[in-house]
Amino acid sequence: MAATPDGQNMYTEAVATGLWREIPVFRMLLGTCPTLAVTAAIKPALTMGLCVIFVLVCSNIMVSLMRKGLRPHVRILLFTLTIATFVTIADLFLRAYQPVMSEALGPYVPLIIVNCVIIWRAEARASNSGVLLSIVDGLAMGAGFTIALCVLATIREILGTGRLFEIQVLPKTFPAWAAMGMPVGAFLTFGFVLGFINYVSRKRS
Amino acid sequence: MLDSLKRFVRESWLLVVASVLCGLLLAATNAALGPRIEVNKALKLTSLAGGLLPAAQAFVPLSSPVEVKGLDGKTESAVVFKATTDDTVVGWVFKVVGSGFADKIELVVAVDASFSKLAGYDVVTSSETPGFGDQIKDAYYRNQFAGAPVGQFSLVGLGAANERDVDSTIVAISGATISSTAVVQAMNHYLPQLKDQLQQKGLIGHGSNP
Amino acid sequence: MDLLYILLTGFISVVLINNLVFTKFLGICPYIGVSGRIDMAFGMGLAVTFVMTLSGTLTWMIDHWLLMPLNLEVARYVAFIMVIAAAVQLVEMYLKKFFPPLYESFGIFLPLITTNCAILGLCLFLVVWGTSTLIEAAVLSFSGGIGFTIAICIMAGIRENMQMVDVPESLRGAPITLITAGLLALAFMGFAGII
Repeated sequence: MAATPDGQNMYTEAVATGLWREIPVFRMLLGTCPTLAVTAAIKPALTMGLCVIFVLVCSNIMVSLMRKGLRPHVRILLFTLTIATFVTIADLFLRAYQPVMSEALGPYVPLIIVNCVIIWRAEARASNSGVLLSIVDGLAMGAGFTIALCVLATIREILGTGRLFEIQVLPKTFPAWAAMGMPVGAFLTFGFVLGFINYVSRKRS
Repeated sequence: MLDSLKRFVRESWLLVVASVLCGLLLAATNAALGPRIEVNKALKLTSLAGGLLPAAQAFVPLSSPVEVKGLDGKTESAVVFKATTDDTVVGWVFKVVGSGFADKIELVVAVDASFSKLAGYDVVTSSETPGFGDQIKDAYYRNQFAGAPVGQFSLVGLGAANERDVDSTIVAISGATISSTAVVQAMNHYLPQLKDQLQQKGLIGHGSNP
Repeated sequence: MDLLYILLTGFISVVLINNLVFTKFLGICPYIGVSGRIDMAFGMGLAVTFVMTLSGTLTWMIDHWLLMPLNLEVARYVAFIMVIAAAVQLVEMYLKKFFPPLYESFGIFLPLITTNCAILGLCLFLVVWGTSTLIEAAVLSFSGGIGFTIAICIMAGIRENMQMVDVPESLRGAPITLITAGLLALAFMGFAGII
């Protein structure tokens, strides 16, 4: 098994990094645009998360396969081309098999192309690692991103409509905070969750 | 000359190969999924319409285009479907657009076969305020149009009329005047034009209408 | 006069009512990152406006005069991002050669803007909104940039004042900026319905 200099398994390292240490959105503050846009309810958030996992893994595989031939001038161009292709494919699949979700997500699916998380992983991991490690890294980072989206979406949906996945979670007498479904709620929830995470991190250290 | 060409090829061969590969991937996916996407697009309107006209078995798009004037005065081609059961027309379904509070509101409207009564409407797309303008999707407002006579609708405030009366007087949603007005305006703007166009095409009779 | 009315309402709509930052969540990364000082914020806003107007118009032209007639919509996203990247690169080289002081003042912003979701986002929204004429596309792209500039300058003004205030430690930096942005989004909601 491949190992890092200090003896730890590279694969578990990658998983730990993606799921906690450098989790996108919360730790790395990347990919914030779709975060605010699709987290009004949990279903769009999950759909977006799955799309990002798909694009991330596919693009990592392709960049990893190409890594020997990368030249400084065309690097970013190649990354962008790969990512754009896989995002288009993901969008086509969504429009074919989940038209309602595709309408709801709208232009935010193609915006995955400029989601910094994907270019960041292509640059930091896939362009200098083997295919298997790139896949693991893609899965871990994608999972981290999805978890972050779902945390925000759960808060916003429960407080905003009292329901989660169509199941009434809060009693009907609870006045739903309609603002949670609107941009206000998005920014405020994100800000407070980030603050909470900062607080927890500081308490630990 | 040959040297610079060799350098060019060395720098960019991967880009060219990758472009070709990506192009092939895109073309293949598009060919495989394209038909399904087209079907989905047509299905969107008719699946909502099925809820308004449960008796209809099929929704057939009109063979000749229907031209109407949009709210901005521009001529546009209207989306009209004929709702049929065993080849008899049971109603007409079309899309109307209104300008709501936040953005455009798209409605699918169904009328009966003689274009004299509304079967109702459903919201295709809208970005109205949740809890307020969003109520145009709810039963309170939609029921007022189900069975209402086709004609000019007038909007009144809460309490000025009984919303359970199925007539041309529509009671607005409290706190969502603009969204309520948008729906009524869209109906008033498009219904007469569409009725006129269908009558001209001989698809519905010139019935007794005030 | 009809055309002028459409352009004017489109302009006000994208700048105030459908502001790209506060209602469409575009350009959040630079918005949080560069809104610390008013002069930097203004510079970023101008750079974004410039790139946005250019890219919006270009991608609209490519979409309507190349992709749609040839039924190549599947290549839309690839074409858009490539055009944006190429356009920014060319602009950068041109500025560096012919207008060095302008290039200096844009500074690091230009390369940063290429993968800014605001640019691609606006180009995609032009498609979603069914923009049918070139002049409309140009005006809407320009107003997108102006809206971003207004948003980021307001935020910079607020943040400059916040430096003298006692912000709780967990909330310093990104969290308080986001909360402020939320309150600004709430304020901008008041513009809905003015046209």
